[in-house]
Amino acid sequence: MRDFNRVIRFLAYVLELLVLFMLQETPGLLPMIFGVRPVLIFPAVITIAMFEDEVPAMAFGVVGGLFCDFGLSGIMGFHALVLAVLCFFVSILSRTYLQVNGVTAVITGIWTIGLVICAQWFFLYYFSYSMPEYAFVHHYLPKYFYTMIFVPLVYLLNRGLSQAVRVQEN
Amino acid sequence: MKDFFKSSPFRVLLITIVVLLGLIIFTASAGGSFLAGLLGFVSSPMQGIATTVTENVTEFLDLDGMSKDELKSLINSLKDSNAQLQQKLADYESVKQENEQLKIQLDITSQRPENRSIAASVIGRDPNDVFSGFSIDKGTLEGISVGDPVITNRGLVGIVTQAYATTSKVSCLLSEDVKVAAVCIERQESGVITSNIMTASTGLLRFNYLSGDAVLEEGDIVTTSGAGGTYPEGILIGEVKSLEKAENDISKYAVVQPSEDISDVKDVFVIVSFPGKGEGQSGVDLSQQPEGGEDAE
Repeated sequence: MRDFNRVIRFLAYVLELLVLFMLQETPGLLPMIFGVRPVLIFPAVITIAMFEDEVPAMAFGVVGGLFCDFGLSGIMGFHALVLAVLCFFVSILSRTYLQVNGVTAVITGIWTIGLVICAQWFFLYYFSYSMPEYAFVHHYLPKYFYTMIFVPLVYLLNRGLSQAVRVQEN
Repeated sequence: MKDFFKSSPFRVLLITIVVLLGLIIFTASAGGSFLAGLLGFVSSPMQGIATTVTENVTEFLDLDGMSKDELKSLINSLKDSNAQLQQKLADYESVKQENEQLKIQLDITSQRPENRSIAASVIGRDPNDVFSGFSIDKGTLEGISVGDPVITNRGLVGIVTQAYATTSKVSCLLSEDVKVAAVCIERQESGVITSNIMTASTGLLRFNYLSGDAVLEEGDIVTTSGAGGTYPEGILIGEVKSLEKAENDISKYAVVQPSEDISDVKDVFVIVSFPGKGEGQSGVDLSQQPEGGEDAE
């Protein structure tokens, strides 16, 4: 029964990632602010990692990252790699040193999503295109702040999902 | 800490990193991948539905000011009429959209009968794409391939840079990767249409490498020259807004307003064949250049 609930929870996470991917990709659904739209997958995988063990957390990082790679049409595996490593360590931190609540979720989101966006800028933009400083200020920073708005919302969603299935496990 | 590095989760992490690095190297060297095609196969139908639903919701009825009973009776009457009309409406939306696309396609085809194009809809815009690239709902199964130009009835939009079975990715003119050989027929001036992050953020293009004594005026039309064989000749790109001196040499460049609102385009046409396609592309293999096409000047 416990394994069955676990499978249900994991399927729900995959479905959640798929739906969030659709939402972030659909033209005109989320309004543009300062010419950018949020990346909903980032807060989703980071907050999932706060509720799961290292290996499942890493696996969801890979799944979410592959969605991002597919959407961007760039090198497959870049986001998967970055998010896998981050989710692995977020999971360890959450289970060892942090009390998982809304405040720690936002704090974790601040540094992890910041790292992902900086990695995007450095590896995908800095060496390939002109005016990296302009791009950082006018594209990556607004995208970072816009994405951060969704961290508490996605945290609440994943906490509800995690608790609902765990109650049945106990 | 020592135990952590010997633990099985850490070993799984290392294996995952190695596998993903292999995937990165493979896709960077070979272009697209089976995995990307598979993800496209799963996500493209849902993306299409999500896009249609979003468009319909924007026309949502304003129900403010109606009482609960009025709403109930309205729902009942709507259910009745809905049941009667459901059958008729089953294919209406798709037929209507197809009809509009075919009308435009007919218009484009009559203008340029030598070009063969395929109608497609924009189903996705990735927030991580700095240059407003987008996905369309047609892929290699319909005959689309990497390097095909993408247009609307208003003019050139971009170029296909990734083609999967059921979807394709388009890099638009605002992308720094896309360079188009262009000409201003009225002034007999030729150059290259480019963009960068600064012009892209304002939705404008640069018409580069004009001669130092070039005289272009506001409103002059810029079209593709066809040089290089990547784009057909005579496709409208936009009109000149201003003429400036280049920062680094004696040439001039013109700021061009694209004829199409590239960041908001919904229906496009992919030109899969045209006279002169691929001519003059020696040394430029688009299948090995997923970032974009470049016309040789």
